[in-house]
Amino acid sequence: MRLMRASDIAKHPVVTYAGEDVAQLKDIVFSAGGGAVGGFTLAGRGRFSGPLKQGLLWTSVAALGADAVMIVDDSVLEPTQNVLDAAATSGGSGGDVLGSQVLTDTGIDLGRVIDVVLQIGEPGEQCDVVGYEIEASEAMKTKGAKLLIPLPDTLAASGEHLMVPAAAQDFVADDLSGFGAAVTAFRAKFEGAS
Amino acid sequence: MRLSEAVGRSVVGTANAATVGRIDEFVIDPASRTIVALHLKKTESGDTLPWGDIAAFGPDAVTLHDPAAIVAASSEVEALSGKSHRLLGKRVLLTTGDEAGVVDDVEFDPESGLITTLVLSGGEVAGERLLGIGSYAVVISA
Repeated sequence: MRLMRASDIAKHPVVTYAGEDVAQLKDIVFSAGGGAVGGFTLAGRGRFSGPLKQGLLWTSVAALGADAVMIVDDSVLEPTQNVLDAAATSGGSGGDVLGSQVLTDTGIDLGRVIDVVLQIGEPGEQCDVVGYEIEASEAMKTKGAKLLIPLPDTLAASGEHLMVPAAAQDFVADDLSGFGAAVTAFRAKFEGAS
Repeated sequence: MRLSEAVGRSVVGTANAATVGRIDEFVIDPASRTIVALHLKKTESGDTLPWGDIAAFGPDAVTLHDPAAIVAASSEVEALSGKSHRLLGKRVLLTTGDEAGVVDDVEFDPESGLITTLVLSGGEVAGERLLGIGSYAVVISA
């Protein structure tokens, strides 16, 4: 299990087990109400290549690492529309969360989303969205600082606002190394309370 | 034996003891993890010596019985040849999607042509972990 920022995987090459870079990541397609990665839209390799008509479902990803997305071979690619449809039927938010305001359920504005934190599990497991990186608002002690805030398993998102439990404030972290533990602790508490 | 030591080695006919070429490149099939042919230079005809036609892969020279074994590349060999199928100097990706340095050298069994060890910039890994050799990377199992 590892945590990665969505911005860390931007433009990752998509590489087959045969060692060919068949595409690169363009956008993340979120599913499950923004709580998981459903798949990716793709672009061609090289400076002048545009978007591809083919996309990649998360279930077809063999591994997502620090340097590449691995797939067994390019037969797992499918029409981009299939990837978008699959995400939509599982409650994909469709909207981009970047820039959204994070509100607690007690009505406090914690800041705006500048990045998304993904949890990469074992092969076959879904890729969870476990947190957001936010630029802290006045409500936080460190206004303007970048903070990582854990997310519950499910959350309400409108494209304008993201609603998190007030307790999330107590589990913020400054960097990814301590964030995994914060997510686990936060989710344990949140699930225990509900 | 290491690939880097073997490149440039003379290929000599056993019948007339004449040099018929020099090793330019190794053609490697990642599926079987073996050297399937030698790509030669300075030959009179053809440029490919299939591994099975080698009499011996010795420490100082490669010998063959029949110089007619040096032929034009078959389509199978052609498909595994060229820069995108080279191992040496190429970036290495684990199946986890993490880079693991570059291929500095390769050890092989001179009897069978089997790749036994990949010598990476960060250390050695067993040849049986080799999965693919492509234009972007050499892929090894994690």
